[in-house]
Amino acid sequence: MTLDMHTGLRDRPHGGLTAERLSLGYAERPVISELSLDLPRGAMTAILGPNGCGKSTLLRAMARLLAPSAGRVLLDGEDIHRRDTRALARELAILPQSPIAPEGITVADLVKRGRTPWRGLFTPWRGEDATACAEALAAVQMTEFAERPLGELSGGQRQRAWIALVLAQAAPLLLLDEPTTYLDLVHQIDVLALLRRRNREAGLTVVSVLHDLNLAARFSDRLVLLGRDGLIATGTPWEVLTPANLQTAFGLAARVDPDPVTGTPMIIPL
Amino acid sequence: MRGALTLCLLLLAATLAALMLGPVRLSPALLWQGLSSGEGPGALVLGTIRGPRVLTALGAGAVLGLSGALFQALFRNPLAAPDIMGFTAGAGLTIIAAIALGLTLPPPLLAAGGGLVAALLVVLLSQRRGHATPPLTMILVGLGIGFIASALSSFLLTLLPHPQAAEAQRWLTGSLAARDWTHVAQVWLIGAALTALALAQLRRLAALELGEDLAAGLGLRVGRARLALAGTAVLLAAAGVAVAGPVPFIALMSGPLGARLTGAQRLQGRMLSAAGTGALVLVVADLAARAALPGIQLPAGVMTGLLGAPYLLWRLSREMEKGEL
Repeated sequence: MTLDMHTGLRDRPHGGLTAERLSLGYAERPVISELSLDLPRGAMTAILGPNGCGKSTLLRAMARLLAPSAGRVLLDGEDIHRRDTRALARELAILPQSPIAPEGITVADLVKRGRTPWRGLFTPWRGEDATACAEALAAVQMTEFAERPLGELSGGQRQRAWIALVLAQAAPLLLLDEPTTYLDLVHQIDVLALLRRRNREAGLTVVSVLHDLNLAARFSDRLVLLGRDGLIATGTPWEVLTPANLQTAFGLAARVDPDPVTGTPMIIPL
Repeated sequence: MRGALTLCLLLLAATLAALMLGPVRLSPALLWQGLSSGEGPGALVLGTIRGPRVLTALGAGAVLGLSGALFQALFRNPLAAPDIMGFTAGAGLTIIAAIALGLTLPPPLLAAGGGLVAALLVVLLSQRRGHATPPLTMILVGLGIGFIASALSSFLLTLLPHPQAAEAQRWLTGSLAARDWTHVAQVWLIGAALTALALAQLRRLAALELGEDLAAGLGLRVGRARLALAGTAVLLAAAGVAVAGPVPFIALMSGPLGARLTGAQRLQGRMLSAAGTGALVLVVADLAARAALPGIQLPAGVMTGLLGAPYLLWRLSREMEKGEL
């Protein structure tokens, strides 16, 4: 069908999450306008861009937390706003930027709440719910902290507990809004490596908004680079993180060399 | 578990004390005789005076306590409660208005209507276009609605002939005097149904507690879920008001006090603790009000007011320290 001018992607039948000429925000102050984007299944994708370019807004819209002012978000070709919210929650999970921890809640109790979309009003707690929670806790290496109150844990452990909650939700598609913000470097790598593991081992599709370009390049199959005027580039890290694109997106003069350890692009500001 | 047992024992002790103490003091033997055989002086006191009174207090305290804990979890704010937000005052106003106008409708229905209208007003008045309403805004608007409802109730009192006005005034303070078995049946039946309804919604509340975005991500229709929970909580409070009047502060205090008493962490445990604590506080407050001044029966609401006002001040200062106010 149509060839999209910005992305060069053809509208072809495939699985995954797709934004179709998506406009977000108010008519007088659009945050995103007419953006088209494909997030294929099985990939680990990072959304990058300067502050205020609408990264989080885009992610929230892709997770149906925000209704578009125009355009659509499709999951496997179907408009997400037309789907039953609970059925959709079994397909697509989102970890918002700052979820709220109820006072005194334990890690186990928190993770259990990830099973909400799988439990009807009168469905009792089943074996599969317990298994999903145990697996999620094991995946983030928090099994031994299950009975600890969240408030007593370190920032990195807390973030892993939140990720365990969305993993217990058992949706094949996971969106995360700045999952590494407020974490120190070690824990940032820890979180991204853990998501990468789930992506490789369980085939989880991961889409996250990230700030650190080098980490994003290292841990992603695909990058989405946004600028103040919309989408700048999508593709592999090498395709997206070019000096020209960095100049356009951030106004940053930089050299891009292969990371000596991983061979992924490494940005050296000039 | 130990905490739950403590609360149950306290409830039992308070109930027995409330049944035995009063102008006619019942010994444990007389109480037992009255309970088991239905005869003797114990039976009369239990069957017509203190039995209905204490059971009404237990039921009304429980529904008010549960209502407050639901609002506090829903708004994630310890100041959220039907007595602070004007819902109990609204429920009280409709009952007084019905008395003043000579309408004879069942009090639970009147209270439910008044509570729901007050809640609707709070929602409408605190809404701003295109923005999510912060809980504190709703609480403050509710406080205002409550003052207006109380003022209207006071005005209606002045229209009533004297003996009726005194009675209504007493009821508006929150009183358990002269309750009969109809009140007991009312509050327990309606309370049980609404409690079941509230407990069935706890999974949604558990998701809502994590913030609206995550709750929506977990598949909730957030607006609808909040409305249903808030509606249930308003009706619970109204069920209490219908039989005991708008007793102040029970709903506000029971949640935090119950959690401290039982140490409950999980949502369901916290809700049941709040209900149990509400029952405990109201029975004890009623007993204290009866016993405080010899020869004078104070309304229970005077006692909960004396207890609750310092608590509210302490809460406010805590919230101000945290920078929430």
